[in-house]
Formats: sequence, C-alpha cells, structure tokens
Amino acid sequence: MAKVLIPTPLRQYADKKDSVDVTGATVGEVLSSLTTQYPDLKKNLYTDEGKLRSFVNVYVNDEDIRYLSKDATALKDADTVTIVPSIAGGF
Amino acid sequence: MIRIDRAAWEEMVRHAEAAFPKECCGIMIGTEANGSRQVSVAVPCKNAYDGDQKDRFHIDPRDQLAADRKARESGLAVLGFFHSHPNEDSYFSSTDLKFSWPWYSNVVMSVRDGAFSHAKSFIANDDQTAAEPEELHY
Repeated sequence: MAKVLIPTPLRQYADKKDSVDVTGATVGEVLSSLTTQYPDLKKNLYTDEGKLRSFVNVYVNDEDIRYLSKDATALKDADTVTIVPSIAGGF
Repeated sequence: MIRIDRAAWEEMVRHAEAAFPKECCGIMIGTEANGSRQVSVAVPCKNAYDGDQKDRFHIDPRDQLAADRKARESGLAVLGFFHSHPNEDSYFSSTDLKFSWPWYSNVVMSVRDGAFSHAKSFIANDDQTAAEPEELHY
C-alpha cells in the first residue's frame, strides 16, 4: 500500500483529499488505481494517448521516476508517491 | 483573493531584488477557504532555468517536494508561486500561462533597476487558455 500525495490543484478531483492510500506493485499500477478511483484526475495526469503529461513530475520518496524505471518503478509498502506540478515561465 | 502576510511579502521582495537582473522564483504556502487565500510562508527558490534567466524561470521540482512536505507538516498547503519580471511590468505572459497550472495563484513582481515596483496575481483557467487577475493584498 503506497501513499499518494495529491497537490492542491488536484484535490478537487479526489474528494478534497490531500493523500490517498492505493495498492499496487509499481508506480504505474498505483496511478492507474488512483485514476480508476478518481476518474477526473486522469485528464490532468495523462495525455489522450495514455502517457504521463510532460508537466507532471512523479517522485517516489525523494527520487524522480524518470531516473528510476518510470511507470515500472517498483514500490514497497510505506513508499510515498508524490505528484509534483512542473512550474516555469518568463516573458 | 490572496493576502500575503508581511514577513512572507518582505521575503519575496528581498528575493526579487537580490535576483535582479535575473528572474527570481519561489513558492507560497498558507491556507485557503472559499476562494480566499492567506500566505504565511514564502519559500525563495533557486532559478533552475538552464539558460538566460533575465526573462525565464523554472522551479526545481525538488524544491517543490520540500515545500510541499513543509506545508503538510504545518497543516498548510502550497497555494501558488511567485516570480519577478526584471524591468518589465507584472503581467502574466503567454510563457507564464503555458508553463503554469490551473488553480494556483501566480504572483508576478515587477522589479525596476533593482527595486521592487509593483505586483499582480493571476490564476490560469482549467484548460490554460487564459489567466484571470486575482485580487492581491500585501
């Protein structure tokens, strides 16, 4: 069972929860379970082709999954999965 | 509407002026109820943009991870972000809109010749096609 930390803009799509406990052996399975439980989260996290959006960062504890095994990153009990919005700008 | 506590605001101004002529960036933490936001903590961040920072910024996701933890431990939430426009007005540019997220408050601080000039706040709509000004008090 992993804990998924929900960033503030997405809590409105997850019954206003700031975290959700989800079962799954990998990051992909956990995020799939999460978006099955809260379907409105899906369009915010995934493209129409089912890929994680480029402006969505996912961390397992302190590690970016892009530098681990991406969606296939294995999870242990008590791991924390954090969804981190990518923020930039300029003029 | 967003209100920024004095200490947090002073931290933001210090960061914006110190970063001049580059853009600064940071994270705002506080409470939100019924669309009214109160910022009690400002977290100055290093501009992680890999290039000329006079007109671009990028917040390192690891800084966001740390700020999110800090907020949760205090029973607070990340309400949005701030950045500066060196020698430019405080408007929400197309680049700001493209790389923002809906819901968050985005405070844009104009810094002229190294001194804070004025600031405005904006919130992007759900499909990020436009941003609306948000009433800002500091």
